[in-house]
Amino acid sequence: MIRTPLRPLARVLSARERGENPDTIERENRRQRREAVSDAARGRAEIRLLLLGAAFVAGFATIGVRMAALAVSQPIEPQIASSGDAILASRADILDRNGRVLATNLLTHSLYAQPQEMIDPARVARELVVIFPDLDAARLTADFTGSRKFIWIRKKISPVQMQAVHDIGDPGLLFGPREMRLYPNGELAAHVLGGASFGREDVASAEVVGVAGVEKAFDGWLRDPANNGAPLRLTLDLTVQATLEEVLADGMKLMKAKAASAVLMHVGSGEIIAIASLPDFDPNARPVPPTTGEAGDSPLFNRAVQGVYELGSTFKVFAVAQALELGLVTPATMIDTRGPLVWGKYRINDFHDYGARLSVTDVIVQSSNIGAARIAMLIGAERQRAFMDALGFLSPTPVELAEAPGARPLLPPNWSELSTMTIAYGHGLSASPLHLATAYATLANGGHRVTPTLVLGAARPVGEAVISPANSEAMMSMLRQVVTRGTASFAEVPGYAVGGKTGTADKPKPGGGYYDEKVLATFAAVFPAHAPEYVLVLSLDEPVEDSGSVDRRTAGWTAVPVGAELIRRAAPLLGLRPTYAPVAGPGLSLARN
Amino acid sequence: MTHLDYGLRSAPTGFRKVLHISWPLVVLLSAIACVGFLMLYSVAGGRIEVWAEPQIKRFAAGMAAMLMIAMVPIWFWRNLSALAYALSLALLIAVEFFGDVGMGAQRWLELGPLRLQPSEVMKIALIMALAAYYDWLDLARTSRLIWVAVPAALILVPTALVLSQPDLGTALMLVMGGGLVMFAAGVSLWYFGSVLALGVAAVAAVLQSRGTSWQLLRDYQYRRIDVFLDPASDPLGAGYNITQAQIALGSGGWAGRGFMQGTQSRLNFLPEKHTDFIFTTLAEEFGFVGGASLLALYVLVIAFCIHSALSNKDRFAALLTLGVAATFFLYFAVNMGMVMGLLPVVGVPLPLVSYGGTAMMILLMAFGLVQSAHVHRPR
Repeated sequence: MIRTPLRPLARVLSARERGENPDTIERENRRQRREAVSDAARGRAEIRLLLLGAAFVAGFATIGVRMAALAVSQPIEPQIASSGDAILASRADILDRNGRVLATNLLTHSLYAQPQEMIDPARVARELVVIFPDLDAARLTADFTGSRKFIWIRKKISPVQMQAVHDIGDPGLLFGPREMRLYPNGELAAHVLGGASFGREDVASAEVVGVAGVEKAFDGWLRDPANNGAPLRLTLDLTVQATLEEVLADGMKLMKAKAASAVLMHVGSGEIIAIASLPDFDPNARPVPPTTGEAGDSPLFNRAVQGVYELGSTFKVFAVAQALELGLVTPATMIDTRGPLVWGKYRINDFHDYGARLSVTDVIVQSSNIGAARIAMLIGAERQRAFMDALGFLSPTPVELAEAPGARPLLPPNWSELSTMTIAYGHGLSASPLHLATAYATLANGGHRVTPTLVLGAARPVGEAVISPANSEAMMSMLRQVVTRGTASFAEVPGYAVGGKTGTADKPKPGGGYYDEKVLATFAAVFPAHAPEYVLVLSLDEPVEDSGSVDRRTAGWTAVPVGAELIRRAAPLLGLRPTYAPVAGPGLSLARN
Repeated sequence: MTHLDYGLRSAPTGFRKVLHISWPLVVLLSAIACVGFLMLYSVAGGRIEVWAEPQIKRFAAGMAAMLMIAMVPIWFWRNLSALAYALSLALLIAVEFFGDVGMGAQRWLELGPLRLQPSEVMKIALIMALAAYYDWLDLARTSRLIWVAVPAALILVPTALVLSQPDLGTALMLVMGGGLVMFAAGVSLWYFGSVLALGVAAVAAVLQSRGTSWQLLRDYQYRRIDVFLDPASDPLGAGYNITQAQIALGSGGWAGRGFMQGTQSRLNFLPEKHTDFIFTTLAEEFGFVGGASLLALYVLVIAFCIHSALSNKDRFAALLTLGVAATFFLYFAVNMGMVMGLLPVVGVPLPLVSYGGTAMMILLMAFGLVQSAHVHRPR
């Protein structure tokens, strides 16, 4: 064993002298040294322990502070930042001239699905079909279990449906607010209002855009936030509109017509009080445009504005009015009406033979084609064309409907002598009933050109003079006589002095020529004739009056009675008072015995 | 120093040991567990049988195990340390080959009726092994490179196995727990300094390499880092848990919404609401007061352990107590830090509160060792 310095010899020797065991000393020395090392280690360990403790305390403090910071923080739901600008959904109301609502907005909800959030797709599909019977459960299940992350189920749902869907209770079914356009009057004024549908849409809202009628024509204005929600006020009178549609529908049914249209216009301002086209539709559920058949037969087609037709004898007044204005004739001038009138290879006939000569007044009253053609020959093509232009027949009506600019009148390719003659009695130029109403208003209001309008308060200057007030008066006198002793005798409405002109136009065949038994019967009326306020143009498509032994198709038997009924009911609503001429009795009085 | 050096006669014997068990610690642990029972009851929507009841049964079993372990002298456990470590390592290797896959990681081992997570067992076995190692090692050699390499290997082998499962949270806890024991044992600060510097350099390298041809991590791993740094960048994806947890904490406010009134957890906004994210329920229903109270209970447990370690002259006992305290601290610090967005989301339960068998049993047994060290300390 190697002696280490721990065991110095001197101490061992001295210990031996004292009789002690030197090994004990060595053990004692070792123990002392070990304890010194151990104490040093423990000292260091204690420092480290305290350091550790401090680190723990720091950890505690960090956690505690963080906890406090979170406790005072406001909980914010995470949101996915919306992309793009918010879709503007507010749309102004549309009112009639008395402030009654024609179109407004309703807050509904859309329904969509996020299939990956869905708990039980099969059950959801099953229960959805119970609420929406037209959905297909198998297809829904396939959609919900497929890879799609987003599925529209319904664009608009009712509150009852929404509650039912809510009660399914699946987190994968979600609702989005959706403003929808509501037409509270249903089919009333359907063609004017047109309709609206959704444009750009997202979950939170959808853009409502007009698709037809004033909704489309004023789409930008209705959606313009700068208007502060100011409503669009139309010239329509809801009450008169309802009356007109009701009478027109009844008349169409009674006369077995396949379609009908009517325009009621104020003669001075050109404001359209009521306008209708049948068959119609509900703008709340606007049907899809038909892909087959004639577009003009669709309920969506506005016959009063979009449809251009040969309007027949109602045009005769224009030839006469122009001849009067040009000084070519007076109401009493006699016109040669011997027929047939042969022009080249064409022959012009009258409905009846009216004899050799008729006065100008009687050409209108009896509705002589030959007479009108002869008057037109006096005028000539150039001047007739200019006059028709002044009346607005050469261009689309400027009325504020989306469809109006497309309704271009059909003019003869070259305005020949023959065209001049046929146009004088309403063939060879196709125009809309609104064109006709506008032209009649111009003749009736003292001769100022009228611009038809649907928007209330749009100030318009008095139009240029087309005919003189005196000639206007003369024309009204003739129209009144058509009712009192002419073709429109059924139009007599006591107290309202109706004047008017009938027109029964054979409908053209698609290939050329005319049908024998299909007519467009039109009645253009002005009332009261002595101080004209309103003009009514009412036409029935393919009417037949079959109560007698022979079927009657002329306007006098079909359109006129319907028009008379309409005036009888609408005139009081328009604020017109009936005027009765004093009854000149047969010399009897109460004073006599 | 060996156990023969203890003043053995000063340690209590027989049933007198019961009097020397630290009953305050038992009360503290029971209180924490009771908070857990309440939360599990609340999270299950007021039903006890879903999570709370199995948890109570396991806690009772764990308590019994703790008291039994406490009665056995600490030197017996020290002599078992090497065996415990070897067994745990064997289990870790076994789980690599026979383990069940759960939640996208291979962590579970079926042993008859027991479902065991060997990585949890390893946390305590590693602490025991390191404490025993430094008890055996001559103090003078503590900081020599070769004698530092041995405990480093003891730590890194199971860490590598756990990482391959993969379970980043447990791996980090093994490294940090083991490192803390080495630190307490007096290993030179130079080692820790260089390891820290290496770690910082590695993190810097990982972040710098992003987008270059020598990128060190996969793209999805970088995205996870992004989400940790800013959970709001992906609120419905990877950041969902953490965002919802923080909403729950915020909605709790100071005093909370009241017991059973939490919405975030109740309405299934939070996955893992009964395990790793149970703290959000507590914070929402009892607010800052509740959260801070639980934190205070944890602090008291740690304070007891440090006090016990400081007053214990036996090196193994002191290091073991400290190691268990460090592991316990890491459990709740990492969990709370994760829930509150201070740390990335790693799967670490809230000790004694989260639903889960192995972690709770192992922790209670570890506290049994702490109690044993406390009872049998040299006087």
